[in-house]
Formats: sequence, C-alpha cells, structure tokens
Amino acid sequence: MNFMNLATILTGNALEAMTPLLFAAMGGLFTELSGALSIALEGYMMLGAFVGIVAAASLHSVIAGLCLAAFVSATLAWVSAKATLGLKANIFITGLGTNLLVAGLLPVLSQHFFGTKSVLSFTLPTLMHPFSRTMAAVPFLGQAFFSHSVLVYVSWLTVLAAWVVLYKTPVGRRIRACGSQPEALRDIGRKPENYQIVAAVVAGASSGAAGACLSLPLSAYVPNISSGRGWIALVAIYLGSRRPGRIMLACFIFALAEGFSNYAQGFLQVPSEFVLAIPYAASLVALILGSLSRRRQGDWKDLH
Amino acid sequence: MHSAERKGSGFIKVRPAQMTLKSFWQRTRITLLALGASILCIVVLLLLFSNAFLDSLKLFFVVPFANVYFFGNMLSYAVPLMIAGLGAAFAFASHNFNLGGEGQVYAGALVATVVALKAQGQGAQDVLTVRLVALFAAALTGGLVGGFSGMLKRRLRVDEMISSFLASSLVVFVVDYLLAGPLKDPNSNFQATKTLPSAFGFAKILPPSDLSVSIFWTLLLVMLGKLVLDRTSFGFELKVSGANKEFARYAGINGDVYSVIPLVVSGALHALAGGVMIFSTYLKTIQGFSAGVGWDAIAVALIANNNPVALVPSALFFAYLDAGSKSAMMGSNVSTELVTIAQALVFFLITATTLPRAFGVHNWWRCGKARAAEEAATKAAQGPQQ
Repeated sequence: MNFMNLATILTGNALEAMTPLLFAAMGGLFTELSGALSIALEGYMMLGAFVGIVAAASLHSVIAGLCLAAFVSATLAWVSAKATLGLKANIFITGLGTNLLVAGLLPVLSQHFFGTKSVLSFTLPTLMHPFSRTMAAVPFLGQAFFSHSVLVYVSWLTVLAAWVVLYKTPVGRRIRACGSQPEALRDIGRKPENYQIVAAVVAGASSGAAGACLSLPLSAYVPNISSGRGWIALVAIYLGSRRPGRIMLACFIFALAEGFSNYAQGFLQVPSEFVLAIPYAASLVALILGSLSRRRQGDWKDLH
Repeated sequence: MHSAERKGSGFIKVRPAQMTLKSFWQRTRITLLALGASILCIVVLLLLFSNAFLDSLKLFFVVPFANVYFFGNMLSYAVPLMIAGLGAAFAFASHNFNLGGEGQVYAGALVATVVALKAQGQGAQDVLTVRLVALFAAALTGGLVGGFSGMLKRRLRVDEMISSFLASSLVVFVVDYLLAGPLKDPNSNFQATKTLPSAFGFAKILPPSDLSVSIFWTLLLVMLGKLVLDRTSFGFELKVSGANKEFARYAGINGDVYSVIPLVVSGALHALAGGVMIFSTYLKTIQGFSAGVGWDAIAVALIANNNPVALVPSALFFAYLDAGSKSAMMGSNVSTELVTIAQALVFFLITATTLPRAFGVHNWWRCGKARAAEEAATKAAQGPQQ
C-alpha cells in the first residue's frame, strides 16, 4: 500500500516535470531534423517563462499568457534564424548569443518594470481540467494520471502533432530532407534555408510554451527558472534518436529523476545542491550510455 | 551531415572553416562592426532604461578611467579574461567547443584556495612555491574536467559541447556544496572558504586597486600561447585538424589526439584563470564569485579570432565593459546585465561572413560591382543543380 502511494506520487511528479521537457524537446526536434543545432532552447524557455507569466497576469488569462509566450519566443527564433542566415554566421555562436541575450534582457526588463531582479509572484487562476476533482478520486490512477493541469495533456498532444507534421505532411518531409539531403530540396526548386527558418520558429514557439509551463503552475517567475532544462531536452532528443515517441520516453526518464529529486528533498538528508544536480548528472550519464549502446549497434553516425 | 557542409548553404554549414579562410581585412571590418554595435547597443539601452541618461553614460564610459582604483581593477579583471580566453582560443582553434568554462574557472579557484590553505595550515613559509603548487593543482583539475569531455568525444563520439556544459554545471553544484558545507569558514557569514593571509597573494602594483604582478606573467603566458599555436608543429597540426579533418588524416596527423589535448589545455587554462583570480584579488573562494567569466572568455576569444596576441585588447575591451556596467550600477538604477546584452550582439555579429544587406551596410564597405560579380559566380557554380 505504501509502495503504491509512493509510485503514485512519483508518477504524478514525473508527469508534471515532463511537460516543459516535452514541449522543448518536440520543438528542438524540428531544428535538429532540419540540420541545425537547437542550442538556444534554454534561452527561448527563459523568455517564454517570463513573458508567459507577465502576460497571463496582466491580461488575466492563462491561455493568453501561454500564446504570447510562444509568440514572443517564436519571434526571437525567427530573428535569430534570419540573422544567422543573412550574416552567414556560425550557428553555434549565434545560438549561444541568443541564450546570452535572454539572460541579459530579462533582469534588465524585470528591474525596469517590477523594480526587482529576483522572484516575481502573481496570482493566477489554476489550469485544472473540469473533471480533475472527480477523476482524481479514481484509486491509484487518479492521483497519478488524471489530476494535473491541462498543460500536461496538451504536451502529450504535441508529441502526436510533431509526429504527424514531421512524418505525414509535405512540410515535415521537407524539413527532414533539409537535414539529410539539402541537395534534393534544391533539385525540386526549394530553398533549404526557408525550411530551416520554419523549423527554428516552431522550436521557438514550442520552447516558449515550455517556459510558460514552468512559470504558470508556479504562479511566479524565478530567475534562471529553466535551470538547464533546455539542454536536457537536447539530450533527450539525442537519446530518443530523433523519433518523437522515443524522445517522449527519454523525457519521462529525466522527469522521473527530477520528480524523484523533488520528492527526496522532503525526507532524505541530502544537500540541496546534490538534488539540483540530479537532472544534469542524469543527462550526462544518459548521454554516455546512449553513446555506448549506439557503438554496440555499430551505428557510428556523428551527432551532427 | 558532412555532405551538407558546402559553401553558401549558410545555416546548414555546421562547422564552418570560414574563420581561417577569411581575409584579414574582412575580419577586421566585422570585428569593428561588432564592437561598434555593442557600444551603440549599450548607449541605446542606457537611453531606454536609465532615469538619468547623461549621468549613467558618464558613469559607464568615463568613470572606469577616472581614478586609479577603478582603472586598476579594470586591468585586474582583464587578467583572468586573457588566461581563460587563451583557453577558449585553444579549443576553438582545433574546432572544439568548450562550453564548460564556468565550472572550470570555479573549480580551479577552489582547488587553488584549498591547496594554499592546507600549505598554510602546515606552516609553509615559501609563498612562491605554495602559489606555484596551488596553481598547478588548479590547472590539473581543470585539465581533467576538460579532458573528460575530450575522452568522451574521442572514445564515444559524445558531442563535446554538450558534455562539457553538463560536466561544468555538475562541477558548479559540487563546488557550491563544498563552499556551503565541508569547506565553509565557520566564522564567516559568507558561503566561502577561510581567507588566505595577504602574503600569499601576488604583489600589488597599483594600490589601492587589485592589480598585481600576475598581469606580467599573463602577458608572458599569452606570448607563449602565440608561439605554441603559430610556431610549433603541435600548434600547426592542431589548427589543421580543426580546419579539415579529412586533410589532416591524409597528412598523417592523428586527429583523435587533437580532440582531446586542446580540451585538456583549455580546461587547464580556465582553471588557472580561476586560481589567479584567487591569488590576485579574492584570497578566498566565495560562492558564485566567478559567474560569467567562462562566457566572457568565449566572447574574448571570438573577438580575438583565436589569435593570442589579439586576446590582450579583446580582454581589455570586455574588462572595460564590465567595469563600466559596475560603475553605472552603483551610480544609477541600471543593472549590470546590460553588458550581457551587448555581449550577445557580439556573439551574433562576430562570426558573420557577409555584412548585413538589410541595412545597406555592404554598399559602404564593399564596391557594389564586386559583390554582383561574386553573386554571379556563386549562381554559376550552383547552376546545374537548379
């Protein structure tokens, strides 16, 4: 019985923690497949977290916050992709630049508009789905699966959406071609660059929403709120071999580690630094194990 | 992916070789553009966010030169930037990306402090030896952290960029923990180690500022870096294997070695920078004291285009921006993160291979006809495919 309780709590925690990871990873998958590295996921998430909560609080609507977060991050992604292409610059460096830009801009904006660079808290309506009360009463499964905010279920839909778009539509096929066979795209008279911009915008919008998923349930914006989740999403993409379903599994494993560390903080006498470090450690270990298994399979493809 | 690395494909070209192919003049133009844009960006941001524009302008751009204290501290901050920048340049020159600078600097600082404190506790008198051993231990630690990513890349083809970032984040948490717990000075309210006696620090040369003799050693180190990169076969092979792996293999260069050694050197130099910060300024490791040095170092190396001699002005430029932002923050309501935004602009512009057409800038810099001829040539080269 006790064990069942623990399992319920851990699964519930993990599903909550998986939401932002899923959004970011699905967005990052588009850029990954289009042949660019989505190093700026972290920056888009931070921007989304800030814009999301500020918009939600000032417009009194969580949905509006989520949409604006996605829109603003997508705009930044579009500008940065356009600039990278227009200047023929190095995509790694401009990606780092995007991260830095957000890291610099948010404290300045926060200081200017709210007079503080630290935590901003707001009062927001919750995003529980209408049946959460009744569904939560279902034994075991209710607590674990049915009592979350709407965002959790929307994030599952994104996986489906990403799969459909990438594998079942012409745009998706061209985005994938852009990464593997850009010449083929040129042969049919398309510019691969344009599909890379589309992919970057999708990544921006999706990870902006991911950021909002961090700040909205908290009803607060905390500096460095994404704390490496953009990078973890990147690792999840590699581990999931760039397949939406497998990426979801990888995200769930990371989320389990994170959910466990949140839970463990309550009763284990572990220093908080180690708890905070668990997601990073998990990604590093996962990265190594993933590479080992890839070597065993003889699949020696370079990561990019 | 390698098939996709072709000229003119912009975004797709993942590891461009253009940094080495670019002409000196074009490079200079783009560097000047990036520096000018970052200064302009700061002015605009001050205009937008400062409640006393002219005052903060003066605080930002003039005050760092106004007295010995500010000026000396500015030079003092340039010292770790040069060392860590040299580390970043070593990695870049071999086309490895070391994003673990933050953790390596922090760990180097802690190791140097702990070694010196141990020596002091055992009654060591020879300050010079203590400093040397401490800095060596720091460099060794950084080298191990950097080499870890290098070995992962060599053995398992794990991307060094991600692994170095993750490893460095882990290191930051470990150091934070050590500073909050086992190594914390029980008599202090700070999350910091015990303080070393000032005799252990480098000799100050511009009191009351923190500037110390370490700046001379650093300049020597930078010269050494220049010699190694440009005048030894090691440096040559390192750059060749970075610029073109296939070519390096045909020339009989062991490319695998050059994905490990540059990262070891890079990590060691970053950690050395952390150690030097301890002995020239802080004399103890304080939680989070070196935050940002790793990213600054990358920016410094990018501006210098991996040329060690150019690291000196480049580090001075960033130290100037840093000093300006600190002085502006003390005197007015703007926050120091302003500089990060200007830095981001540098990141965007510095690797540009063409100037932005959208702003018509190219017409000023480059004759229109030459551009048209080049475009025609590019079209002709791509012609059969379209």
